[in-house]
Amino acid sequence: MTAPCESPLTDDQLTEYWAHDLAPDGEAAVEAHLFACATCAARLEELSALGSGVADLARQGRIAGIISRALLNQLQHDGVRVRYYSVSPGETIPCAVFPGDDLVVLSMRADLTGVESVNLQVTGPDDRPLGQALDVPVASSSADVLWATPGAFVRAMPSTRLQLTLLTPGRSAALGEYVLEHHAQP
Amino acid sequence: MVRTAVDTNDGDLARAITAGAAGTAGDAEAELYRRFAPRVRLYGLRHLRDEDAAQDLAQHVMLMTIQKLRQGAVRESDEIGSFILGTSRTVAIELKRRERRREALRDTFLPRQTFAPPEADRRLDLDQLELCLSQLADRERSVVLLTFYGERPAAAVARELGLTEGNVRVVRHRALARLRKCVALPQESR
Repeated sequence: MTAPCESPLTDDQLTEYWAHDLAPDGEAAVEAHLFACATCAARLEELSALGSGVADLARQGRIAGIISRALLNQLQHDGVRVRYYSVSPGETIPCAVFPGDDLVVLSMRADLTGVESVNLQVTGPDDRPLGQALDVPVASSSADVLWATPGAFVRAMPSTRLQLTLLTPGRSAALGEYVLEHHAQP
Repeated sequence: MVRTAVDTNDGDLARAITAGAAGTAGDAEAELYRRFAPRVRLYGLRHLRDEDAAQDLAQHVMLMTIQKLRQGAVRESDEIGSFILGTSRTVAIELKRRERRREALRDTFLPRQTFAPPEADRRLDLDQLELCLSQLADRERSVVLLTFYGERPAAAVARELGLTEGNVRVVRHRALARLRKCVALPQESR
């Protein structure tokens, strides 16, 4: 029999508990509530499952977008097989993905001094928009921006030429333009 | 009217186990396990950060609790939740100190197959979650990945992304609300 919860924990309290954001007193109070309240314990279980799912996706290389260097290091440490390319502004590089690659990561070198966030535009042949990332925070101490794409997605792509443009939000001048010549594997 | 273990409150369940009434104590023990083992597992996941260790903790703590109840060594039956939490804390500290003991615990306590995967884990569709994650704003996705895969608190996420801690909490709150809705998890009632 589950008694109704008279003062349920908020979603934020549960998240802060799970993310280790709470001071010891707050943490102890949440735990005491969870062991007295089946309803809130079940809600934490849902949050835990969501978090585990996100972690599972990352460990399988099923994540896309701009990632931090520390996150890339953690992925590699966890055994995610990363195909890594590095490109400088104005440079064109050939790229391919191979069977067994979980994740493809492109390092776009750029001067990020004073930059707090970036936009990334990806276009294909005939300037056809293929994707974008908007207002992604980056550490200004970084020397590059890392763009991750699941290996399975890239493996399904035909050979094509991709143009990538890195911008500071609100400014027209690009931080860098990069070209990838993607060669599909037979 | 006959009350089944499922209809009984936590304190009465504990008393039934201590009384050892024929034909009801087994049901009461199973029900107590069903109610609290998932909470101990969550406690273990949160503090030990390892699924196997969390499941070991849950089995160990619940076995100890039931043994104490059978022996009449739990004084406040109505505070059985506090007793289990306290036991969880003690055992988790011990497990952290003696990591190598995990393998022994696994062999010593209840068979692994008695611990059913949590309902929430079974319901989550990873393909759907992948789609939902891809639909988040890029800033939200970064924060979610660093929180749940990177296991970083808000302050560390803020440092890594050059944001304020408050901003990270706002972004995280918004992202989780969108993810819950997208994967069809229950929303907080407001």
